[in-house]
Parts: sequence; structure tokens; C-alpha cells
Amino acid sequence: MAQLTSQHINFIIKDLHYRGLVYQPLQEELLDHICSSVELKMEQGNKFLEAYQEVLKSFGNTSGLRSVQQLTIKAENKNRKFMIKNYITIALRNLKKHSFYSFINIAGLAIGVAACLIITLFIVDEISYDKYNEKANRIYRLHNEIKFGGNHYQLTTSSAPTAHTLLQDYPEIEATVRFRNYGSYLVKPANGTENIKENNVTWTDSTFFKIFSVKVLEGNPNTALKEPASIAISKRTAQKYFPNESALGQSLILDNKYNAKVTAVFEDIPTASHFHFDILIAMVGDWPVAKEAQSTVYLSNNFNTYLLLKEGTDAKALENKMPEFLEKYVGPQIAQALGGDFTMEKFKEAGNLYHSTLMPLLDIHLYSDFKGEFEPNGSITYVYLLATVALFILGIACINFMNLSTARSSNRAKEVGVRKVMGSIRSYLIRQFLLESTVVTFFAFLLALGLVYLSLPFFNDLAMKKLTIPFGEPVFYFTMIGAALLVGLIAGTYPSFFLSAFKPVEVLKGKVSGGLKSGMVRSALVVFQFVISIFLIVGAISVNRQLQFIQTKKLGFNKDQVIVIQDAYALRPNNVEAFKQEVLKNSTIQSGTISGYLPVESGNSWRSDNPYWREGSESTTDNMVSMQNWKVDQDYVKTFGMTIVEGRDFSLDFPSDSSAVILNEAAVEQFGFTGDPIGSKINTFSGTLADGAPDPSQMESWTVVGIVENFHFSTMREGITALGLFRGKSDGSVSFRFAAQNTQEVIQSIEKTWKSLAPGQPFQYSFLDEDFGHMYDAEQRLGRIFTFFAGLAIIIACLGLFALTAFTAEQRAKEIGIRKVLGASVSGIVLLLSKEFGKLILIAFIIAIPFAWYSVDWWLKGYVYKVEIGVTVYVVAGVSALLIAWLTMGYQSIKAARSNPVDALRGE
Amino acid sequence: MGRILLTEGALYPALHKLEAEGLLQTETVLMGKRVRKYYTITPIGKSLVKERVAEFRDFIKTMSSVLQVQMA
Repeated sequence: MAQLTSQHINFIIKDLHYRGLVYQPLQEELLDHICSSVELKMEQGNKFLEAYQEVLKSFGNTSGLRSVQQLTIKAENKNRKFMIKNYITIALRNLKKHSFYSFINIAGLAIGVAACLIITLFIVDEISYDKYNEKANRIYRLHNEIKFGGNHYQLTTSSAPTAHTLLQDYPEIEATVRFRNYGSYLVKPANGTENIKENNVTWTDSTFFKIFSVKVLEGNPNTALKEPASIAISKRTAQKYFPNESALGQSLILDNKYNAKVTAVFEDIPTASHFHFDILIAMVGDWPVAKEAQSTVYLSNNFNTYLLLKEGTDAKALENKMPEFLEKYVGPQIAQALGGDFTMEKFKEAGNLYHSTLMPLLDIHLYSDFKGEFEPNGSITYVYLLATVALFILGIACINFMNLSTARSSNRAKEVGVRKVMGSIRSYLIRQFLLESTVVTFFAFLLALGLVYLSLPFFNDLAMKKLTIPFGEPVFYFTMIGAALLVGLIAGTYPSFFLSAFKPVEVLKGKVSGGLKSGMVRSALVVFQFVISIFLIVGAISVNRQLQFIQTKKLGFNKDQVIVIQDAYALRPNNVEAFKQEVLKNSTIQSGTISGYLPVESGNSWRSDNPYWREGSESTTDNMVSMQNWKVDQDYVKTFGMTIVEGRDFSLDFPSDSSAVILNEAAVEQFGFTGDPIGSKINTFSGTLADGAPDPSQMESWTVVGIVENFHFSTMREGITALGLFRGKSDGSVSFRFAAQNTQEVIQSIEKTWKSLAPGQPFQYSFLDEDFGHMYDAEQRLGRIFTFFAGLAIIIACLGLFALTAFTAEQRAKEIGIRKVLGASVSGIVLLLSKEFGKLILIAFIIAIPFAWYSVDWWLKGYVYKVEIGVTVYVVAGVSALLIAWLTMGYQSIKAARSNPVDALRGE
Repeated sequence: MGRILLTEGALYPALHKLEAEGLLQTETVLMGKRVRKYYTITPIGKSLVKERVAEFRDFIKTMSSVLQVQMA
């Protein structure tokens, strides 16, 4: 048998290596196998090279050999767990060795994940509203949109007979329930003396428990609220008024006049509900509200009306039948009220609108923000906005991870080379790096959980929510683990593909071009981070600017130093005026006024409007002006610091003032007076027909005695509409203007007077400027949340930048050393290092501006009165981003620039 | 074609897999520059062979009865 010479064998070894056969055990075997085959061929008379070529062919040449190698490695590793263990060991060792970078990676990611988690909790809470109702997807609320007489209403309420008529005429409706809200009530048990103010009181139909899944704990849900003077109360209310005894069958007295019997006690309504009633009053019997509920007039829309549709009913189809309903029932009554040749078509042709729609129960919380809501609702815009912000922040955190991993690739390049030489194939390396990123992510998630736990109370405060981490729910853990894996995958994919692509030969020779090659991607990612940061900064500044604008805008009245005493009607029948006079005796009180109509919108302020027309014009649709009519006393204008621009204020010297009116400028404009408005007259209907509709034959007229400067009585989202002040009794509240002294003393003095005149009635007060502030709670929340997350975004972005600069400085240590030796100054080197990233931030600024401008413009469109967002805001945002970034980089740059060049250069 | 194409090296992945599973053991003999590796079946492997062969016979039997093929 022919033996191959050692030269031949060396040749084969070299050739196999050249063809990529590196796995030692397999290589040995194959060598012997190939040698034996070649020997066999040579015995048959072939020359060595020919024989070798032929044998190689039988092995499938290079590609065949390689696939055998790959299959062998795979087959062997399939059963071996130790590689995973090895990956984890290496990952942990790496984290420990580069603890600075690991810290930034994990901390940045943890902050991002925490922000994301908080926002997710918030959104989950927001979208879970009203889901506790078993029939939720069959319940709808009837909304009305009415445009008439220069006013545009979006109402969540309908008229009293609507519910009943709909139920009769449309068989697809299974049941209806109405609510009539009259604000707060003073409540005491039948045998008690002290009144307590209850805010969540409503009048409703007995079908309430049939439609909403509110569990009745005591009493029969089928008969509760069916009898006149019966009420149902929540568990917490029952415990408040009847501790340690059953509330069923007991009585409560409301507003000192309604004695009502408890016929049911229900479970407290869940937090995630668009209403939280504590007391439900039956709308049957002969109490005024019950009578109002039995009215057949379609013209006043005061009842929140809910419809339960039968299974399988198409709500859209029912909605399409609403115009027909309006035509049949509402049309004739409007025609009667307005007289003349009224028809629905003409009404609409004149640019008016009467439109009924069905609002699904589950959409109410996020999509409905109209007149007559029980409580302020959420907003789908804010949900989207926050979701976007959450993704942005998570994105910034992930980018940090990618950038640091790829930037530091040269440190790992040798490891990759060695692993490849040792037989690791690319898919293993990808797996290894993905595993590493997942390990980092898991640490980050653990840290994030801790952060969320600590910061949730703070956020709850900010967003006025009661969010908790759902530790009890398995879904939460699955989601967290799933999210950790997903984030690990997203953050790890790019680095792992990038790192595993290194060519072992080049890497081991010390040629790492990776730093440069990935520079572009890295720069793009840094730009992206700062685009988002600058965008959020501009957003935060703009929201806060608008808020400040609202706070400082000239309102037409003076909101400071006014105390409002609520529920003055508790002083009835004759103590209201006495109370005012008594309080005025205190020298710090400058003036006082009795009126429930306040120039701020809150739970306590009253509003009512009626159609009026200028005397001398016809009472037709075209001439009607829908105007707020506020009943005030002679000290109103003075107390609130409004300005009379023409004519005079009300005065006790003019007994004729009982038929006088003071108009605001908007009303004067809408009436279109010919000649001097002072002394002109306006008319309105004063009587009603038997069915409650206005009687066209009875009219009342008012003389204009003064014009008050326009003042804001609604939010800045709305314009100032027509308003008239009338002399009249309205004892909803008494307001006092006081001198800027000891506020506490003022309160105590007023309270003393109150206690003596209204014993047993709760003393409730607020300050006008605070009530004014509450109108903008939503904006203030948005402003604070935005500022908070914008801050987080920039912190995370800067963390990344900090590490990147540190890394660059480290990599360029020798270059810096040489530059210094050759005479470069510290400032020159700092500039050199900062320039690279400074450029990126400038680019980011240019990209971010159009986006920010567009979004801010869109948000401000919702306001009639808005602040001008000048160039300064953008400049401030850009400069602050640059400044923060530069400070971040500055530290590292200066550290590098000041280091002793000898330390950097001695190594070689 | 549709046939399985086997190269000469195709045996090695299988051998290495069986070795990793402990069903084969190896003995290496140095021959100058070359190393020759002898594979022998381990006792565990032997007992498994019987099982696997029986399983395989069973499988073929089932297949032949399903496919109505007469086996030799």
C-alpha cells in the first residue's frame, strides 16, 4: 500500500485549512479519511494531485466540507447545555469588567422601561373605563348637537320625554334610563342635625340597576326607586350616615326639604367609571324634578339619556332613524315656539343644526367632552400622546444600548475572532450577543420595577390617578417577561449581527474597521435621540407658556382676593341678605355680592341661557340671540372688579333696575342695535303654555342700562359669547372681595357669622383664583407630565452621549497624547472632541423644528385665546439641548484633554 | 432527482452526534502526522441498537401493510 509522504500530508492539511475546515476533531478525522482515499486512488495509478482532486470532489468540494463541519458542530452542540452557561458567564463577566458602561446601559434602559411601564399602566387604566358593565357594548348615550342663534352646543343630555318616546317607537331598544343632575346636596339623616355636603347625587329612573351592572347589596333592585321619595345609596354613604346598622328603610333629608327613604344599598361604583354616584333619587312622584321628568316638552335638554339596545341591534341603523324622530316630535314644538312658517328644512337651510347621535358607553370616557358630563373625562388624544412619548423614551434607551455595544465592538472583536477560530459559527455568535442583551434587559427590568414602585405615588399625584402595580396578576408577569425578551431582542439585534459579522483573520490581525463603518448608523441614531428630545422640550415649553398665558391674560374681572361661600341657599328663607350685611361689617371685607353665577366654571357655578331679540325686530330664528342670563345683585360688578364701558352699573337708587339689563360687548354686537344701545330694549318670552313650551303671546322686555367689558366666564378654549346681567335673586353662593391681609382671619370671621345664621349647615368656601385654576387642571396635568417625560428623555439621551464621549476619548487617547506633545492646547482638544457630537445635535435641531412647530400649532388650535409661540421657544429648546449635551460631553472631553500624554503614549 | 445525495463526509455529523449522546466511544491512534479514530459502540448503545432496530422493523412492517408492499 502506497504511503503518502509527509509533504503530501502537509499540503492536504494546509489546503483543508484554506478551505475553512477549522474544527479540530473533525479535521483530524477527515484528514485520515482523505489520505486513505487518496492512497487508494494512487494505487490505481493516479498521480497525487489528480487523486486528491477526485477525493475532494467526492466530499462535495469546499462547500460540502463546510456543510459537514457545520452539521457536525450543530449535532454535537445540540445536547450540550454548557454553551449557554458559558455565554451567561461571559456576559456577566463583561458586565462586571466594564461596570461604567454596564451601569449606563442598565440605568438608561431601566429609566426608559420605567417610564414606559408607568405610561402603560396609565393607558390600561384609561381604556378600562366602564368595562365593569356586563351589557357595556349594548349601552349608548344619546347626544345632541344643536346650532342655533349664534350658539353651538354639543350636549350629552336630551329632553325629558325622549327616552320614553324612543322606547315606545323603536322596538330595538330594550330599556332606557335618564339622569338629572342638580349638583350637590346638603344631606343629613332624618334624626340628625348636621348637614353634610354630598357631591355625587343624581335623580334617576328605576331602570338604573337593570342597565348598569351595579350590584345591589340590600333591597330589591327590581322594586327600588319605583316609589316616590325613595333613594338608593352606595355602601360608603350607608356606612357614613348609618354606621353599624342597616340603612335599608331609614330616611335621609336632602337640602333640608326632601325626606327620602332608602330602598336599596348598592356596591360603590368602581373607580374606572364615568360616574360615581353615591345617592340616586327616584324620579317619580310630585317633587319638582320628578315633575320635570314627566314633562312632554322636547325643547329643554336636561336629561342624560342612556339606551340599552337589544342583542344584535345595529346602533348605526338606529342612529339613522333619529332625524325622523326629531322631525316627528321636536319639530312641531320648535315651530310652535318660534311661530311663523317653521319647518325642519328651513331651520337647517338657515345654517342651523339639530342632530342626535349615539355615543357608545365604552367610548364616553375617552371620546366625550361635551356639556353635561357628570365628571371631567379623559381624552384619547392624551392617550395617544403619552403612548407616543412612551415609545420615544424606550426608543432612546434602546438606542443607547445599540450605540454603546457597537461602539465598543473593538473590545469584543478579538473575542469574536477567537470564538470563530474555535469553531463557533455565526448563528451561535448572534445567539450569544442576543443572550447578553437579554441579560442586560432583565437587570434593567428589575431595576425599572423598583423605580416604578418608588415613583408611582409621585406620578399618581401628577396625573390625579390611583394607579398601582398589579403584582397579584399573572398576566402582568407574563407581559413583563415577554416585554423584557422583546426589548432585549430589539436592542440586541443590530449589535449582534454587527459583531458576529467580523472576519476572524482580520480581527485577530488587529484590523478593526468596525468603528468607522458603524459610525454613520451611530450618528443617525444619536441624531434621532436628540430630535425626540428637542421635540419634547419644545412641547413642554409650549404647553407651559400657554398655561402661563391663561393665568396672566386680562380676564375682564379680577380673580384675586375673592372668597366664594358656597350653597348660600342653606341660609333660606331670609338670612342670605342678613349674612351678607353681617360679613360686610368686618373691615377687611370690601364688598360682597349674592349670586350663584360666577365668572369661572366649576361644580358650583350656575349657567342658564334663553333666546332674546332686539325690540323692533321679529321674534324669528334670524333675530334670536341665545344669551346667558345671569341673576345678580347691585354689588356684582364691583365685587368681581369688572369694568362698565358705557352707561352705568346697577344701583339701589334706581328702582326701575328690576327691568334693566347690563349687556357684555359680545351681546351688544350680536343684537346689532341701531343707534345708542343704552336705553334700547330687548325682549324674551316670559310665559309657558300648559305643556311647558314657551307661549308666544307672553313677552317681557328689558332696558339696557349699561355695557360691561367682555370678561371670560368660560375656558380659553371657547370664545366669549353673549351675556346679560339682570337684577334678581340667585342664592347659589355669596362672594366677598377682601383686602390682602390675613386670609385665615377672613375665613374664620365669615365662618363665625355663618355658624350663627345657619347652624348645622356645612360651611363651604373656595377662592375664585383657585376655582379659575381648576378649569385648567387637564392642561396643567399635561404640562407637568410633558415636562417630566421630556426631562427623562433628555437624561437618557445624555447618559448615552456621556458614555459615547467617554469611549471616543478612550479610543483617541493616543491621538490626544500626540497632539498634546506637539503643542495642542486643552481648549483645542476639548473643541475637537465636542465638535463631532455638536454637529449631530445641530442636525437634530434642524430636523426637530418642523415636527415640533406642526404639533404645537395643532394643539393650540383648540384654543380661541392662545399664546404666540415665537422663535425664542425653539431657540431656547435648541440651545438648552445643545448646552446639556455639551456639558455632558464637556466633562469627558476635559478629562481626556487634561490627562498626561505620557500615560497614553508609554504603553507602546 | 429527489434522491438523497450523500457525500463521503456525510457520516461524520451522525457519528459526532452519537458520540455526544454517549452511544459511541472512540479510540484514537496516532500514525505519524495522521490520527486515526476508531468508533466502537458502548454497552448503552448496544442495548439501544436492539430497541431501535426492533422499532425500525415495526415501522417498516406497518408501512408495508399500509402501502400493500410485499417485503422480502
